[in-house]
Amino acid sequence: MNKIITIAGLTWKAAFRYRLFWVMTVLLAAAVVGLPLMLKDDGTAKGLTQILLTYTLTAVSTLLGCATLWLSCGTLAKDVEECQMQVVSVKPIARWQIWLGKWLGILSLNAVLLALSAGAIFGLLQWRANRLPADQQAILHHDIFIARAEARRPPVDLSAQVDAALKERVKGYAALSDYQIAELRQQITGQIAAEYSEVPPGFRRRWGVDLHTLRDSLRDQPLELRVKFHAASPNPDAQYSMYWVIGPTNSAGQVTILEKLPPDSFQEFQIPPDLLDDRGILWVDVVNPPENSALSFPIEDGFELLYPESSFVVNFARGMAVIFCWLALLASIGLAAASYLSFPVAAFVSVALLIMGLSSGTIGSVVENGTITGYDPAKAGYGRSPVDIVLVPVFRGALKIIKLVEGFSPIDDLSSGRSITWGQLGLAVLQIVVLLGGFFCVLGMIFFTRRELATAQGNN
Amino acid sequence: MSAVAEIPENVSAATPQPEAGKAIVSVRGLTKIYKDFWGRPKARAVDNVDFEVRQGEVFGLLGPNGSGKSTTVKLLLGLLYPTRGHIEVFGHSPRHVKTKAHIGYLPEESYLYRYLDSRETLNFFGNLFDLPAAERHKRNEQLLEMVGLNQVRTRVVGEFSKGMQRRIGLAQALINDPDLVILDEPTAGLDPIGCREVKDLILALARRGKTVILSSHLLSDVEDVCDRVVIYYGGRIHAMGTLKELLVKPDTVRITMPVLPRQSMQAVLDLIRRDVAADKIQIDNPTQNLESYFLEVVRKARENLSENSGVTSGSHVAAYLRGEAESVPNKDKLLERLTLPAAPTPAQPAPPTEAAPKIDQAKLASLARAAEPEPAPAKPAPTPAADLKKADEKLSSLLGHPPGI
Repeated sequence: MNKIITIAGLTWKAAFRYRLFWVMTVLLAAAVVGLPLMLKDDGTAKGLTQILLTYTLTAVSTLLGCATLWLSCGTLAKDVEECQMQVVSVKPIARWQIWLGKWLGILSLNAVLLALSAGAIFGLLQWRANRLPADQQAILHHDIFIARAEARRPPVDLSAQVDAALKERVKGYAALSDYQIAELRQQITGQIAAEYSEVPPGFRRRWGVDLHTLRDSLRDQPLELRVKFHAASPNPDAQYSMYWVIGPTNSAGQVTILEKLPPDSFQEFQIPPDLLDDRGILWVDVVNPPENSALSFPIEDGFELLYPESSFVVNFARGMAVIFCWLALLASIGLAAASYLSFPVAAFVSVALLIMGLSSGTIGSVVENGTITGYDPAKAGYGRSPVDIVLVPVFRGALKIIKLVEGFSPIDDLSSGRSITWGQLGLAVLQIVVLLGGFFCVLGMIFFTRRELATAQGNN
Repeated sequence: MSAVAEIPENVSAATPQPEAGKAIVSVRGLTKIYKDFWGRPKARAVDNVDFEVRQGEVFGLLGPNGSGKSTTVKLLLGLLYPTRGHIEVFGHSPRHVKTKAHIGYLPEESYLYRYLDSRETLNFFGNLFDLPAAERHKRNEQLLEMVGLNQVRTRVVGEFSKGMQRRIGLAQALINDPDLVILDEPTAGLDPIGCREVKDLILALARRGKTVILSSHLLSDVEDVCDRVVIYYGGRIHAMGTLKELLVKPDTVRITMPVLPRQSMQAVLDLIRRDVAADKIQIDNPTQNLESYFLEVVRKARENLSENSGVTSGSHVAAYLRGEAESVPNKDKLLERLTLPAAPTPAQPAPPTEAAPKIDQAKLASLARAAEPEPAPAKPAPTPAADLKKADEKLSSLLGHPPGI
């Protein structure tokens, strides 16, 4: 372990001697302190804080992410190109230890820089909050400086119903193309999903959320509903009144709240505490008055119940830990590329991988359509390309890998006061660091161990 | 040959004596072919080479630039992988990690981290050998003293001159007190004093039973210190053996003695001319070699001027490298002599190396044929900064052109 720490310490020496540490510190400080001065907000303390959190954390993550990729590619590839690795690798240290030392060096550097940035952001938030009027502070502490976990209705599996409906619908049609069947499946899925999400005028929809495991911890705690709906009449400026009936059915404790809400965006409102029924289930009915148009609450995120889970400090720390997991992944990607490639090529490959990761939408479309070609109106469908045979399976695999990472959004969660649970953090460590990062680590170590280190000529 | 050639009496008590003749490095059928991107052969750097290096010997890899010396060294260190053939170092593959604990390596250039200072550099490499902090610190001090960098220990390596970088490179190669030291062009970039110090150091290591592999195109380096050499050209070994085997001229004899009175001299010559033709007899006064002369001038200058621009002359060989045997500075050794301060000693005549005064003695006469021929003494060492081109040309003329690749 001493040898690995020695190699890791070298990264620190280099960071200080080449002034990387100080440059990064200044840049991060500028992002944390300077950026808020240039931001426009909606005039409310809550809005400003949300924007401040979002932008500063995004800026810090981007800066550290870029620096991590650059540094991880450079620290190994340049050591090989400038031949220092020839002197190091002839000492009694295994190549995988050198690799791991480099990785840990970058990670420890990132950890310190991220901790400094996080501390600065947190301090800035508190400083700003303390200068606000008491009512605004209360809003902040209620909506932002909190960690609220979410509870949803049980997930609905539509596939069996869609399969049955599709089977019924295609009866009597002999030769339907794959595209036609896919199109038909999509329409049927939409129709069935609508049955679970639509609330026609004059009707009500009921959701039940099982909170029995949290009954004690939620006693006397006000909860919040977070809803999003779409309206049949396309007027985003309109607001729709609706009644929310909450509590045990036919009981005196049931409460009714009238809310006037805009469509197409997340809206939150508080509900009274202690409305669970005997089984620990919270029942919520939304009643769409007859004068409204039809409303649709999407299955995925149309209805959520938010409850306090922990403090903002703990949540903030967990959010930083998830960002740190991303940085660990980037470090392993950069080092893996540098284990076999020269510095510029390794940097290019790493950035290309990153861009590919950020293009999950495009990759998802290719996988969904089964081809890289676009929609052809003349054929009323998608064309086919010979490269689909290779690319579609590759993209399918890539999408599975990307999904391991993209499910985590600590910045969104923190700026909206949503909890990043210990479970989510554990999952992030497992999926991002252990599985994906581990894959690149093993790949990099194998490449580096097999590489002939003396083919490069020194250029220093 | 060298001022450090004397072996202290108690060295055997302090240092475990090597098992004579044990092969430390064994190379059989070694071939290295560099390939291009498509895997097609591009250059045959080493071609079917066989040799062994035995414990305690100083083994020279000699050859012009591009002859395959450095490639061989890098194959021995596991930095390159052989295309064909077999290498064993201490009975293991060159890539065996634990074996590397016994090896010290000085590459042909300074491949050290430019942002570390001398002390940090040695600390870093000492840590890679898992040396305890106290031992590491002690060795650092001794090595910095030895290579003359103790006064610039806080300057980063990137600011060093080439010679200073070679010195710190040499120090890192010795931090683990290696059993096998591989030196690739160790005197490149060094001034004559540094060259002499390195050669003294090599001999000191050899006395302790350390094995040294020296790769160089400088003939004087190899001649001064090596027990056995191989001569490379075009990736192949063209000659191999001890210097005596390779260089001795058994049909020629040289006698060195004080100047005789004219009459005696004439009598001797007359006697010799009875058996040897006059044109085959050479008579002149011996000269010391330039290296010896230069070192003496510097020694005198140092006595008169205590400061210099940065590098101090290396002190005596680090105690841990000498073993306990040489803990007392020996005034007969060049490293010690150059650095002994204070009490100004009266100027001495140029301290010729063991070989120097003999080297340029005229071949006065040939002795009776029945007498056993004396081994030829070493030739005068050329200046350590011998012209590279000249050396290459010399080897080329000896060996002809390299075979086609």
